[in-house]
Amino acid sequence: MSKAELARSARRSNFVPLVGLWQQTPMSFRIGAIVLLIHLIIAVTGPFWAPYGYAQMGAGPPLAGMSASHPLGVDQLGRDVFSRVVHGSHIVILLSLSATLLGLVVGAILGLLSGYLGGWFDDVLQRLFEAIISIPFLVLALIAIASAGPEHSGNPWLVVLVVALVYAPRIARMARAAAIDIATRDFVTVARLRGERAWSVMRRELLPNATSVLLVEFALRAGYAPVLIGSLGFLGFGLRPPTPEWGLMISENRALLIVSPITVLGPGLALASLVVGLNLFTEGLARILGRTVRLGAQ
Amino acid sequence: MKEELLSVLNLSVAYRHGHGWMRVVDSVSFTIGGGEVLGLVGESGCGKSTVALQLLGFRHPAMRVESGEVRFKDRNLVTLRRSELDRLRGRSISYVPQNPTTALNPGIRIGSQISEVLAAHGRELSSNDEDGGAVMKLLSLVGLPRSREFQRRYPHQLSGGQQQRVCIAMALACDPDLVILDEPTTGLDVTTQQQIIGLLIDLRERLGMSMLYVTHDLGLLAQIADRVGVMYAGRMVEMAPTEDLFSRPRHPYTRGLIGSIPGLEENFRVATRPLRGFLQREALPAGCPFSPRCDYSLKTCFDIPQQLERAETSLVACWRWKDIENLPAEKKLPSAAEPLGKENLLTLDRVSIRYGRGRKAFTAAREVSFTIGEGETFALVGESGSGKSTIARAISGLVPPVDGTVSLHRTPLPKVLRERTREQRRVIQFIFQNPDASLNPRAKIRTILARPLQFFFGIAGKDGVRSVKEALADVRLDAGYAERYGDQLSGGERQRVAIARALVAKPSILLCDEILSALDVSVQASILALLQRLKSEHRIAMLMISHDLSVVKMIADRVCVLFRGEIMEMGTREEIFTAPFHPYTHMLLQAVPHLRQRKRWQAARRLSEVSNASAGCVFAGRCPWQIGSICESERPPWRQGAGTLRIRCHHTLERLVELSAPEAESEIAIGERAAR
Repeated sequence: MSKAELARSARRSNFVPLVGLWQQTPMSFRIGAIVLLIHLIIAVTGPFWAPYGYAQMGAGPPLAGMSASHPLGVDQLGRDVFSRVVHGSHIVILLSLSATLLGLVVGAILGLLSGYLGGWFDDVLQRLFEAIISIPFLVLALIAIASAGPEHSGNPWLVVLVVALVYAPRIARMARAAAIDIATRDFVTVARLRGERAWSVMRRELLPNATSVLLVEFALRAGYAPVLIGSLGFLGFGLRPPTPEWGLMISENRALLIVSPITVLGPGLALASLVVGLNLFTEGLARILGRTVRLGAQ
Repeated sequence: MKEELLSVLNLSVAYRHGHGWMRVVDSVSFTIGGGEVLGLVGESGCGKSTVALQLLGFRHPAMRVESGEVRFKDRNLVTLRRSELDRLRGRSISYVPQNPTTALNPGIRIGSQISEVLAAHGRELSSNDEDGGAVMKLLSLVGLPRSREFQRRYPHQLSGGQQQRVCIAMALACDPDLVILDEPTTGLDVTTQQQIIGLLIDLRERLGMSMLYVTHDLGLLAQIADRVGVMYAGRMVEMAPTEDLFSRPRHPYTRGLIGSIPGLEENFRVATRPLRGFLQREALPAGCPFSPRCDYSLKTCFDIPQQLERAETSLVACWRWKDIENLPAEKKLPSAAEPLGKENLLTLDRVSIRYGRGRKAFTAAREVSFTIGEGETFALVGESGSGKSTIARAISGLVPPVDGTVSLHRTPLPKVLRERTREQRRVIQFIFQNPDASLNPRAKIRTILARPLQFFFGIAGKDGVRSVKEALADVRLDAGYAERYGDQLSGGERQRVAIARALVAKPSILLCDEILSALDVSVQASILALLQRLKSEHRIAMLMISHDLSVVKMIADRVCVLFRGEIMEMGTREEIFTAPFHPYTHMLLQAVPHLRQRKRWQAARRLSEVSNASAGCVFAGRCPWQIGSICESERPPWRQGAGTLRIRCHHTLERLVELSAPEAESEIAIGERAAR
């Protein structure tokens, strides 16, 4: 065996298991991961190579339509839509993910505890959640933003908190249903017989078994978060123009749909591909988690 | 044998496994004659159900038939077109599934479900009474009430035994030539199981159809099968007439299976001993698949594949069958003979447990009192619904009793778990029936075992790791198991881990709730051996809850028989298993399948079930020895026998002895028949 061959086989021995693992994953996971990876790369590197600035007016004749220099056209203020989409990428991803994550953490903890403990704690919490869910989410968001006061308006953190407030009760209800199911299994009874506190039961027994439910829930919510954030922006309660947030861009150019459809379609496609990518990825992840153990045994 | 009805030739089936295919049935051949009952037996995963499904031409994307054929009436079911299969299934070959609860559609009345089968095969439905005629006939054929009201019931309004009868009725609807029964009695109580077996024997005599009976329970086959095929790891290892199989098992695996049946009949002639280990599909040798577990295997066994060959009356796939027959008898498992505990450990004093409130209240246990001594094994026996598990739950604090006290070392325990001290929770440890649900599937075994150590003793880190290893060694598992997840283990291994988890808390009593019933016979035998060893090494008291009297006989020091939440009989093991018997105990003992004798199950008298809120004996209505109205109106007295035996019955002990003598039994049977 030559030196080159040795080196190659050594390199392969490090690399092959990873390739093997990748090939064992479901197709949806692979497609989702690739789409997400592209989005992440654009979000991280985009600001360095975008042809124009996100607020740079006069990049081209307003409503110019598609061309080689403006692949997604130019909006009514003469800004290059492609550059704006690229610049907005990290804002959208960061805001949606952090808002959903916050909603997930709060919702999962409350939901799991509520499902496991039952009794008055569960009753009170459930009525509260039902009350929150019964308010249309935009109205709820507006109430929350209004009560925060005008000095916080346009603050990205407020947007995160508001989206989390909308999501937490919904996620909590899913978590509660999962907890009620898991809590009937004997290993939870064993923990109870041992005298474990509710927090410990939740962390050790319930949470690991609810991950796939929570992950799918996370993906669904995260996929919808950019739309929610955009709606807030449209109503003037979310991020402020000229922030190149995609939902906001769709709202801004909505009236021009017939004149220059690409200015709406561009950010819309970006949003759609992110949502689809996220969903495929999480669905695949849930399936992998569901059979991790069997994968390990092979 | 009469003419051949169906023959299987060199059948090999594989399932999709990861990215490849795993062969689960390997070159299996057998025939079923007209009117013959063939039994197929083996541990779970041996491929017996797969073979059974192939007789119906079953197809699935994750399964493929690699070779062989199934010939039925000059047609090959493996390659038959779907439309032709549809005509065949249910009409010529029908199927009775294992679990009637999931096999019946919960949203359709049973009458409609049965007539659906008839309609699907275009059978004449007598139009005058909305096909009630044909359905009625089927219902009475399987011993169900012939009433219009019964047909209008939904499956959930039927007991498990009745549901299985409905499934059998559906299978018989079109007068099939062959009925395939896939573990039809596994989920049922012993007494119900006997009734179903009795029904099947009876049906076979009346209708003369062939049957393929798939089960893991050899004892059942002794009663019903003409020939038995034993399967191991997808291969047929022995095929013999039933009588021969039990009197002269030739394959080491068959001997092991017979040896694993906990013996009610102590002086069983053949020298057998329980199986060891379990089937590992991933590590099968090139030769005989059983060689890793075989007590007689030689080096060549691992290399040379074995084919079925004629061995006098049977077919055996073992080249050493002659040698094995001549080997000397081996030692049986030591039977439980432990001194009784002197010190009182756990006392129940008139404990009553009720579920629900007001008029819907259901009394699960009524005035149950008993004492368990230190290091003593106490068995609670009864059919499902008798309140055995409820009592264990009350002891553990999961279900607070409405009345009475549970005391530990003569100190009353708080009824609610929350109010018990950590120490009180530690010394009582619970082991559950279903090993699949009792381990967290997302936790490593190490984590599962380390938690109680940390929780009760504050042991963590290096000491924790060492203790986990010790705990695994204690239940005879390799230290490597610590890094595995619960669902990577087999049922028996999981149950060992569950036992280890209970043991690390250093309990003084283990509550074992049917911990063997979800396991294969061979695994049962090994867990029983483990419990016996733990009992002598750790001096732990055990509350064994079981419906299986043979298991109880092997391990218990004292036994308590429950019926509908009330104690019927209590005493030491010897006292319980010898006359006088309580009528219910006698019935349970009669229901245990015997290997050597074929006996007829006396058709149980179907009287109205008496509610347990009634004033009389709870067993009245099902009692074969019922005296008369006194049983229904007055609570029976406790009768104190010699020693510690106590029986609750209106009969005197002397009369009970007379009644349980074999002659008396036939007398009663005759009397009963006359009365009808």
